[in-house]
Amino acid sequence: MTVESASAARSLILLSHVSRLYRRGVDEIHALEDCSLRVEQGRFVAFMGPSGSGKSTLLNLVSGIDRPTSGEVWVAGQELNQLTEDELARWRARHVGLIFQFFNLVPVLSARDNVALPLLLTHFSRSERQRRAEIALRVVGLEQRLQHLPRILSGGEQQRVAIARALVSDPDLIVADEPTGDLDARNAEGVLGLLRQLSAEFGKTIVMVTHDPRALRFVDEVFHLDKGVLLEGEEAERAGAAMRVAAGGGLMGEASPTRSPGRALPPRA
Amino acid sequence: MGYTGFVIANLLRNKLRSALTGSAIALAVLLVCLLLTMPAGLDALLTSVASDTRVGVINKSGLVFWMPYSLMRKIRALDDVADAVGMVWFGGAFEEQGKVTFPSFAVEVEHIPSTYPDYKLAPEAVAAFNRYRDGVIVGRQTMRKYGWKVGDRVTLRSNVWNVNLDLRIVGEIPRDTSPIVWINREYLDEAIKAQGGAGLGIVMIVWVRVPSPDRVNSVMLRIDELTRNTDYETTSQTEKTFFSNFLGSLQGFLQILLMVTALVSLCIVFIAANTASMAVRERAGEIGVLRAIGFRRRVIFSMLLAETVVLSWSAGAVGVGLAWVVTTSLKRLGGSIAALGPLGGFSVTPAVILQGLVLSLAIGIFAGFAPAYGAARRPVADTLREVF
Repeated sequence: MTVESASAARSLILLSHVSRLYRRGVDEIHALEDCSLRVEQGRFVAFMGPSGSGKSTLLNLVSGIDRPTSGEVWVAGQELNQLTEDELARWRARHVGLIFQFFNLVPVLSARDNVALPLLLTHFSRSERQRRAEIALRVVGLEQRLQHLPRILSGGEQQRVAIARALVSDPDLIVADEPTGDLDARNAEGVLGLLRQLSAEFGKTIVMVTHDPRALRFVDEVFHLDKGVLLEGEEAERAGAAMRVAAGGGLMGEASPTRSPGRALPPRA
Repeated sequence: MGYTGFVIANLLRNKLRSALTGSAIALAVLLVCLLLTMPAGLDALLTSVASDTRVGVINKSGLVFWMPYSLMRKIRALDDVADAVGMVWFGGAFEEQGKVTFPSFAVEVEHIPSTYPDYKLAPEAVAAFNRYRDGVIVGRQTMRKYGWKVGDRVTLRSNVWNVNLDLRIVGEIPRDTSPIVWINREYLDEAIKAQGGAGLGIVMIVWVRVPSPDRVNSVMLRIDELTRNTDYETTSQTEKTFFSNFLGSLQGFLQILLMVTALVSLCIVFIAANTASMAVRERAGEIGVLRAIGFRRRVIFSMLLAETVVLSWSAGAVGVGLAWVVTTSLKRLGGSIAALGPLGGFSVTPAVILQGLVLSLAIGIFAGFAPAYGAARRPVADTLREVF
């Protein structure tokens, strides 16, 4: 067993010296450079940073949507690089629930059918799929909206349906990309509170990309990124302080007293 | 909801677009099915109207060239000839129309029943045809077309002989698809002489009845032998061959129509493919999300392909159904609307149904393959990055 696999056994997410390089013609874009981090089971963490800092790239790597150019990505004891495209799809269906900024519900399906979509990939019967979808909708407080189409739901309700869809297959990891980006303040608070609840009550590990300083009050850890690099030490502290100020807290971090900056792994020797 | 429900829900997402694409496919399949009924329909028509024990004899140079009337006596004297009737084109135009709209011939009245026993003419019609020199027997199709009935009088103007004949309808050829009008040869002969002409000394076509099909070839050979080295050499054919030669040019026309329809179907494939591409492009984000939550490439490919196949096949079934309705209606109307002519005899057979459904399936597969393959192959991260 390698160091990474041993660490992976204790952590739900382990990234070791991960880089992601995009080529656009002759140009090379370093979206992520030598990024190493660990997220323990049941934690609610946020990736924060300015646009183009590599947050979404990191999220795609963690969720198995994208592959690193170099380095290792371990999630739930599985090194994702070793999986084929189809195996990755199967793995995502089993282990990852995804939440997007614009909800991305299928407009022609009811809330219940939208939530039940990931269960099409299982061997559950139709009635069992419906039962599980109804339970997931009850968890997010939308049991009265089973038959409603997305267009007659509010933005906050649509995002709750999306959260129920992410939750319905009981994944180890829930990944959220700017889940409050398209919501007003009240709904954003509601969604963040719901994610917090899922982490606290159901032990779900949640990784979220956000610009929203309000998130600091709900997450366990924050990883700050800038220009494709995971910030550490004083740089991370400075970024965190700026966020706390933006969130309305003081420099001492009153707004999020129990939260800490994320812990990056030591760089490769 | 299962995969089927999901596919149908996606199809109903843009009802107008699905309806328009489906209509285009249904129309193409309808056209193909109708055309496919025609060769079989013409063949069935030929079998129903033509006898294989009746031989047609015409001048070798063509139908418009004549033969001397004396040939009739020689033909009837041959062994294995049950009877024969000589005909001359009258080219009668109904006064009110002013143009020839049905075939009319001057015939030897007394030889009609024994040459055409299969026509099952009513005995009273035959008797009246013999009794009245101005008597005329009319095919049911023409009777219905003009609303004529037995006992009516009509005047036909010949476009060949420069005579007008006042005629009495004495009977009907009891065949729904028969447009023929038979008038008395002697009556025409008198009319021509009354105009100062020399009278009818010719025949233009001779129909010979042979007792059995196995003697037909020998009779045809002997008739043509009779006229060898004369200036009216003949060519003999069975009635079925005779009419199929007429329809030969129609068959060629049908081939061209089928080719055009094949091209139309190809155009429909491109239109449907374009529609499928647009649908896939509009749903790129959704497809990306489905891939992200674990739908494998082959599942995405199958679902997208299934959408075009289900649409195309359903539309094809509608097209086949419409073809059946059209041909069945024509068949029913054929009895009452004589103008439909042979169209009333066509029908959608199981083979045509199968071909129509296979065509619609092929349209769906060809139209849906490329867009579905492209969407399924696209890396999920690229799609999400581009859309969100």
